[in-house]
Amino acid sequence: MSESTVLTMDKVEAGYGGGLVLQGLSLELAKGTITCIVGPNGAGKSTVLRVISGLLKPSSGTVTLGSEAIGGKAPADILRLGIAQVPQSGALFPDMSVHENVMLGGYPIRRERALLKSRIAMVEEMMPIVKERAHDKAGNLSGGQRRMVEISRALILDPSLVLMDEPSLGLDPKSVAKVAAVIRNMASEGRTVLLVEQNVRLGMNLATHGVVMEQGTVRLTGDAAGIADNPEVASMYLGKAIEK
Amino acid sequence: MQIVQVLAYGILLGGIYALLASGVTLIFGVLDVVNVAQGAFLVFSALFTWQIWDMFGMEPLLLIPVMGAMMGIIGWAIYRGMLIRVAPQGPGMTVLLMFGVALTMEGILNLAFGNKFKSVTPAYFTESLKLGEIVLPYPQLISGVLAIVVLGAIYAYLRFSWAGRALRASSQNRDGAALVGISHKKAAGFAFAIGAATAGVGGVLLAIMYPIFPATHYEWIARLLGVVVLGGFGSIPGAIIAALLLGTMESFASTFVPQWAPLFFYGTILLILVFRPQGIMGSKTREDVA
Ligand SMILES: Nc1ncnc2c1ncn2[C@@H]1O[C@H](COP(=O)(O)OP(=O)(O)OP(=O)(O)O)[C@@H](O)[C@H]1O
Ligand SMILES: [Mg+2]
Repeated sequence: MSESTVLTMDKVEAGYGGGLVLQGLSLELAKGTITCIVGPNGAGKSTVLRVISGLLKPSSGTVTLGSEAIGGKAPADILRLGIAQVPQSGALFPDMSVHENVMLGGYPIRRERALLKSRIAMVEEMMPIVKERAHDKAGNLSGGQRRMVEISRALILDPSLVLMDEPSLGLDPKSVAKVAAVIRNMASEGRTVLLVEQNVRLGMNLATHGVVMEQGTVRLTGDAAGIADNPEVASMYLGKAIEK
Repeated sequence: MQIVQVLAYGILLGGIYALLASGVTLIFGVLDVVNVAQGAFLVFSALFTWQIWDMFGMEPLLLIPVMGAMMGIIGWAIYRGMLIRVAPQGPGMTVLLMFGVALTMEGILNLAFGNKFKSVTPAYFTESLKLGEIVLPYPQLISGVLAIVVLGAIYAYLRFSWAGRALRASSQNRDGAALVGISHKKAAGFAFAIGAATAGVGGVLLAIMYPIFPATHYEWIARLLGVVVLGGFGSIPGAIIAALLLGTMESFASTFVPQWAPLFFYGTILLILVFRPQGIMGSKTREDVA
């Protein structure tokens, strides 16, 4: 484990009651890096994020943040340690306004009113939709608009590790570019980002490191450019070479 | 004029149904538990109110905060002690558990109070407010108005406080709430406490309106389920609209076709379940988004 390692997963096993979905998965994230997980549908990519954020308890193995074991802790405790997750879909509260949704991202800092207010203002500036549609019900937004609100909500706590499950899902090209810029900016501020992306070209362009998953384990890791060029990845997962 | 009178009466009755049914629907929204013991909570609180009034002769309305808090604590304890263990086994099991709680409470009340009617009769019990030709008995008027006031306070609390926001968040999207640091267990315990507290408040209001005995809880839970089913399980605005609708219908029925009045609630449950199971305000967006 190197000096700058932020998060380590070691031989993690986890499942949803049936068989194991993660079968001895190990992973390391260094500070300030963007790591992108790719892999076929059902490989367990989202499950990795759910284990880190505490939505799913691992049945064995360890998850370590800095020097603290976080595997199996409650999501609220993990959030307080600085890990925020933007799940694959449906993270919002559909009957609440956009403003209230974003505000709830600050639930753990609800008593620090001034701080919460300034964070909301910061996010509103970064993501104009939060202000423009403030009083609309989140459930009435389009899929892409919801995505922007979900990302905004995760940023309210100023997390040091951000987990993003398919951030580009359902976004138009302009919004994808915007989200990509937000992610790059997060990393340049010293945050660590772990994302799952189906669009390998986009993901690896954005990322510094790549992870290829298959059937609940890590099949390959390396720097993003190497993963993108790896012929094995192309044949195994894409069915063809990655266009540059 | 009789129409206005019957209508006013129906709205007051509807206000009480709305308060009690909101408790049921709130619990369902957060926990997915159909609290069939709400009627028993209600009668429990009403008989306690009678006991204290009988012993001290005090103004029963002063007991509203006391009984609200007492039932809130009992509700929270039932959640933490029993429901939390049974909840993972799904709605079928929790409904059986709550039915067991209702029967146990009924048994305790039978032992403590006997199977006879008790009435709380403060000085204003037989007096009425006369506005021209409209005559509104004070017990009904006071109970109806207070129910609406308490319901309004609960609604505002859920709408504008962080605790209320957390509770609504947990009810709309459990995983989404967990991701912003809201513990489902805390939200659920809180929801159950508020739901039970509405029965605590309702019990006092009930006690000054009607004679009560332990087994009347069956009648009440049937009414409340009728309101909740019509309103759409989990929807508080739905429960309020449905309560006013059914309260008014009951009021008209008991004036003009009294023998049909009890049938309204059961009939509503059957018709709604068959033809519009999500009720009038049941949300369809939830599956889509969550
Ligand atoms: N809530 C759940 N309950 C039961 N099984 C689940 C649940 N969520 C995921 N699974 C199972 O776990 C396995 C991995 O799912 P996961 O969502 O992690 O895959 P993924 O790699 O993110 O796929 P995708 O690319 O489609 O998003 C799948 O076989 C899936 O059926
Ligand atoms: Mg996934």
